[in-house]
Amino acid sequence: MGDGAVAETAREIVERLVALEGPLLPILHAVQDQFGYLPPACVPVIAKGLNLSRAEVQGVISFYPLFRTQPPGRRIVAICRAEACQAVGGAALEAHAQSALGIGFGETSADGEVTLEPVFCLGNCACAPSMTVDGVLHARVDAKRFDELMG
Amino acid sequence: MNLYYRVGAERDLGTPAVIANSAAKGGAGAAPTVNVEIDGRSVAVPEGISVMRAAALAGANIPKLCATEDLAAFGSCRLCLVTIEGRKGYPASCTTLVEEGMVVHTQTPRLAELRRNVMELYISDHPLDCLTCAANGDCELQDMAGAVGLRTVRYGYDGAHHLDKPKDESALYFSFDPAKCIVCSRCVRACEEQQGTYALTINGRGFDSEVVASQNDAFIDSECVSCGACVKACPTATLIEKSVIEHGQPESAVITTCAYCGVGCSFRAETQGGQLVRMVPNRDGHANHGHACVKGRFAFGYATHQDRITTPLVRDSIDDEWQAVGWDEAIRTAAERLQAIQARYGRKSIGGVTSSRCTNEEVYVVQKFVRAAAGNNNVDTCARVCHSPTGYGLKTTLGESAGTQNFDSVLEADVIMVIGANPTEAHPVFASAMKRRLHQGAGLIVVDPRAIDLVQSPHVRADYHLQLKPGANVAVINALAHAVIDEGLEDEAYIRARCDLEAYRIWRAFISEARNSPEATEALSGVPAAQVRAAARLYAGAGNGAIYYGLGVTEHSQGSTMVMGIANLAMATGNLGRPGVGVNPLRGQNNVQGACDMGSFPHELTGYRHLSDEATRRLFEAEWQVALDPEPGYRIPNMFDAAIGGEFKGLYVQGEDFAQSDPDTQHVYAALSAMECVIVQDLFLNETAKFAHVFLPGCSFLEKDGTFTNAERRISPVRKVIAPLSGMDEWDITCRLATAMGYEMRYSHPSEIMDEIARLTPTFRGVSYAKLAELGSIQWPCRDEASAGTPLMHVDEFVRGKGYFAPTPYVPTDERANARYPLLLTTGRVLSQYNVGAQTRRTGAVAYHREDILEIHPTDAQVRGIVDGSWVGLKSRAGETVLRAKVTERVQPGVLYTTFHHPESGANVITTDNSDWATNCPEYKVTAVQAYPVSRPSEWQEMFHRFTAAQQQLSEQALSEA
Amino acid sequence: MTVDAAKLVRMAEQITANMAYTDDVELVAARVADHLNRFWDPRMRQAMAEVANGDADQLSPALKAAVRQLHGVAGEGAL
Repeated sequence: MGDGAVAETAREIVERLVALEGPLLPILHAVQDQFGYLPPACVPVIAKGLNLSRAEVQGVISFYPLFRTQPPGRRIVAICRAEACQAVGGAALEAHAQSALGIGFGETSADGEVTLEPVFCLGNCACAPSMTVDGVLHARVDAKRFDELMG
Repeated sequence: MNLYYRVGAERDLGTPAVIANSAAKGGAGAAPTVNVEIDGRSVAVPEGISVMRAAALAGANIPKLCATEDLAAFGSCRLCLVTIEGRKGYPASCTTLVEEGMVVHTQTPRLAELRRNVMELYISDHPLDCLTCAANGDCELQDMAGAVGLRTVRYGYDGAHHLDKPKDESALYFSFDPAKCIVCSRCVRACEEQQGTYALTINGRGFDSEVVASQNDAFIDSECVSCGACVKACPTATLIEKSVIEHGQPESAVITTCAYCGVGCSFRAETQGGQLVRMVPNRDGHANHGHACVKGRFAFGYATHQDRITTPLVRDSIDDEWQAVGWDEAIRTAAERLQAIQARYGRKSIGGVTSSRCTNEEVYVVQKFVRAAAGNNNVDTCARVCHSPTGYGLKTTLGESAGTQNFDSVLEADVIMVIGANPTEAHPVFASAMKRRLHQGAGLIVVDPRAIDLVQSPHVRADYHLQLKPGANVAVINALAHAVIDEGLEDEAYIRARCDLEAYRIWRAFISEARNSPEATEALSGVPAAQVRAAARLYAGAGNGAIYYGLGVTEHSQGSTMVMGIANLAMATGNLGRPGVGVNPLRGQNNVQGACDMGSFPHELTGYRHLSDEATRRLFEAEWQVALDPEPGYRIPNMFDAAIGGEFKGLYVQGEDFAQSDPDTQHVYAALSAMECVIVQDLFLNETAKFAHVFLPGCSFLEKDGTFTNAERRISPVRKVIAPLSGMDEWDITCRLATAMGYEMRYSHPSEIMDEIARLTPTFRGVSYAKLAELGSIQWPCRDEASAGTPLMHVDEFVRGKGYFAPTPYVPTDERANARYPLLLTTGRVLSQYNVGAQTRRTGAVAYHREDILEIHPTDAQVRGIVDGSWVGLKSRAGETVLRAKVTERVQPGVLYTTFHHPESGANVITTDNSDWATNCPEYKVTAVQAYPVSRPSEWQEMFHRFTAAQQQLSEQALSEA
Repeated sequence: MTVDAAKLVRMAEQITANMAYTDDVELVAARVADHLNRFWDPRMRQAMAEVANGDADQLSPALKAAVRQLHGVAGEGAL
C-alpha cells in the first residue's frame, strides 16, 4: 500500500470523523480497522486534519498497546493475562502459545501467519482462560484447545 | 566604569511567577500577597504562586527535578514533597498553591527518606559516568542525589534499564542521549509551552516511556526547529549543546543582546577564558523571557569563521589586488580619497550609510561623520529598504516613528491581526509569545498572499485568512475600514476624545465611498467581500484588537499608505493606548529601530526631528561646533542614481550589503562601479566589497560594548565577550576617519557617545549606561533621570496630540501582471537563515537551507512543464535568474515566492526600481515575472560566479599574508 | 541634466497620485510641494523645476502647481 493511497484513505476518514468530540481515537481506530495497523504515512494527515503535531499523534498511538504500527500477521491471537484467567491456568496457556508459535507477546511469526498479543480482561472471567482469534472470543482454552484453534 | 559585567548562575524558582493582568484590579505594583510560614520563617508572597516558589523566595530550595520556573508545574518526579500542617500526606510543593496562613515544612526525616527512595529509583537506571559526562558540574540529577543524601542504590544495577539506547547526534547543535533521560518531560513541555512547536512527545508507557521527536524520527528529520528550549530545560546531559561536549563547562557569563532580528533577545554569553562556549537565553530578558531561536542560540560561529577579515585592505581600482595595510594607512587613504572627491565634485558628492546591525553608538558616530566631517546630509540606513514607510506612516498619523506597544502586550490581545508578516519564521520568539495567547483563545486574522504557518499549524488556526493578491494591500485595508464604518462598528467616543475631528470627517467621507467597499475591491484583491466583512467585525468587536505587520506591508509602492491605513483602522476602533492593542511593526534587524532613532536619514536628526527645525539644528551645532546643512540629502536610491549620473562618487558603507540586498542588482552594480571611492566596513568581503576600494574590518556583536534597540523601542546592552579581532573598536574607526578628514572626534568609551546622544535627544534624555545596568533595558521615550522608560505609547494622548486620520486612496502599482509577465513574485525569509545570509551561511545553520527555493502553485507549474526540484528561469523587466522549484499549494495560482538568503540566487536581479512613493522603500513584494523550465543558470548567474571567483583571487594574496 | 529627469518625474507623479484623495488641485499641490521640500535633496528639486521650465504640460495639473511651490530652486516662485 503506497504512502499516497494511505494518505488519501486517512484523509477521507479524518473528514468523516473530525466533527466528533475527541476525534483522535475514533480516527485512529478507523484507520487501523481499514489497514490492520497504523501506517506511519497516516500520521501527518491525521495531525494536519486535527491541527496537532506529528509528535502528539505519535504519543497517543504509542501509548495504547492496541494500536499497531506494523502490519500484523494474517491472524491475530490475543490471550488474556488478567487475574481471573491467571487463577485458572492462564500462565500455562501463555507459555504453551509462545512455544507453539515460536514468538513472544507483541511479535509476529516469521511466516507472517500469526501475531500474538496480550490483552487484559476480555470480560469473560467465569469461563477463563479466555482468548480471541481475530476478534472472536474463545473460552475455557487449554493447550489442546489452543492447538485446535490454530489449525 | 565597570567594563566587566559577569553574572553568576541563573536561579530557578521552580514554577512560574504569576503575571498580573494589567487590566485587573489594582493596576501596576498592586499584586495581592498572602502570608505563609516556611520552615519556621514567615514570608509574604504573591498570591497564586506554588509552595515551591514561595519556599524558594523564602530561601528554602526544595529538591526538584521535573519543575522549572520556565514551565507550568507538572508534578511527576515526586521529589518536591512537603508536609503542610493540617493536611494529610505529602503533597507535591510544585502543584500546591499557597494559602493564607499555610504552615509548611520542607524537610523532615520522613520526607528525606521519601526523597532518597525517589532518587534511588532514578539512579538504578542511569549511567554512572559522572566524571566523564558532559553535564558534570551542571547536572540537576547530580545536585539532587547530593541534596537528598543518596548513599546506596539497594536495587543494584542488574535489572531492566535503558543504558544501551543509542545517541541521536543528527541535530546540528545539540546531542540527544536517551540513556541519560529521566523522563521528566521538561523538554516536551518546553517545546509545547515555550516554543509552541510540539515537536516532542513521550513514546510508549510505563517503564518503556521515552522522549522522541515527531514519529520517533531523528531530530534533524523531525518537526524540531532547533530553538534549544529543550536543551536549556533538560536537567541532565540528555539534551546538551555540542559545544559543551567539546569544550567543557563554561565558567563565566556576560549578559548581552542578540544581533540577529528585531526581537532583541537577551542572552547569557557563557565563556571559558576568552572563548565563547554557548549562548543561553536570559530568563530575565525583557523581550524574550528566557526563550530564543536557532540563530541567536546557536548560530554564532560566523564571528570566528575563517572568512573573517581582521586586517584593513586598500586598492586603487576594483580590478586590482587588495593590499593589506595597517589601520593608520587605511584610514589616511580613505580620508584622502574622500577629500579629493569633494574637492573635485563638490561637498555633496560623498555620503555614508549606517548599519542596522551595528550599535546605536556606532551608528551615531557615522551620521555625525557625514554631517560634521563631510559637511552634508547624504546619510541613510537599511530602514530605507524595510521599514521607512513605518517611520513616515506612523509619524504622520500618530506622531512617532515607532511601534506603540511592548511584546508582552500580545498576551492581553483578544484578536490579533497579522498583515504581511511571517513571525514564526522571522520573529520566532515573539511568535511563540503570540501562540501562547492564541492557545488561550484569542482570535486570529492573517492577511497574506501565502498560506504561512500561522494560518494553520499545530494548535494554531487563523479564524480568517485573507489571501490577497500581491499589490492589493491598500485595497484590503480600505475595505476593512469601510466595513467598520459601514456597519457602525467604529468607537465614536474614542475618536471624539482622541482624534483630530476635521481630519476624521474627511477620512470618513473618503473611506465610505463605494470604491473602497469590500464588494468593489473583491475582484482586484482576490478576497471575498463576505470574508473581509467578517474579519472586520471580528477585529472591531474585540475588547482588545492588536495589529502586527511586517515587510509585506512596507515593501510596496504604497507601503506608507498601507501603514497609515493600519493606523486609521486602529484609531477608528479605539485600539491604541493600552495593553493588548496597538500598531506593531515587526522591525527586522537587531538595531534598525536604533539606526533610525540615531538620525541616519538625509532629512532627520536623532529622535526624528526634521532638519528644517531651527531649534534642533542649533542644539546640534552647539554640541558639535560645526554648521549644519539645513537641506535634506540623498537617500540610498538617490545616491545610486546620482552615482550613475556622475555626481556622487564616494560612499562610506557601514555593515550594509546593497549588492545583495537592494533591488535591481544590475542597477546597483552600475552605481557602485561608477563611484571612485567605496569604503566598506564589515566582517566579511561581501558582495558590496567586490566594488570597494577600502575595506575596514568591523566587529561582531561579541566584540563590542554598546546598545541595540529592538522593535519595542527597547534599548538593551551589548557587551564585549571577546576582544575585537581586528584590534579596533568600530566606533573608533569612524572617529579616526572623521579626525583624518579634519573634524576631531574622540571618545574614550561608548558610554560617552550615549551620553552625548542623551544630551541632544529629548526622548533619550534619561538614558545612560548606569541606568541600563540597573534596569536591564529601557524602552524610549525616557525623558529624564527619574524615568524608567515607556512600555506603551500614546496612553493619554498621541505624541502629535490628536490622532490624524490620513486618507489612503488605492493607487495600483505599475508592477502588474500582464501578458508578457503574467505571474507575481513575492519574497520572504526562513527561520534558519538571516536576511542576506552573511552570518548564517557561515555557520552550521546553512545546512537547513542550502539554496533559495521558488514556490510555485501546481496549476502554474503544470501548464509550464515545471516539476518539483527542476530548474526554473524567472524573467522580469529588470533581469533574469534561475532557481530550483518546489511545487506547493502554499502559494495561490498566479503567485510565486522565494527567499533571498544566497547571493547566487540573484533574487534581486529580478526585482525592480519600483518603490514606495513617500520613502522610496523598494517594492520587493511585487514583481511581475514569467517562469519557464531551463537547464542551466542564467547569464547573470554565470557572470556572478566569474566575478566572485575573480574578486576572491584578488584578495588571496593580502589575506594569506595577514 | 545629471539626475535622470524621467525617473524624477515618475517619482513625483507617484507622490501626486498618492496625495490625490480629493479633486481639489490646489490642496493636493500644496501637499505634494510640502513633501518634496521636506524629503528631496535640493538638486532633485532643482532638476524638477528645470523639467517644468522645459515642458510643464507633460506634468499632471497638481504636480505642475506643486513645482511652483518648491523651495531652494532657481527662479523659485517665478515658474
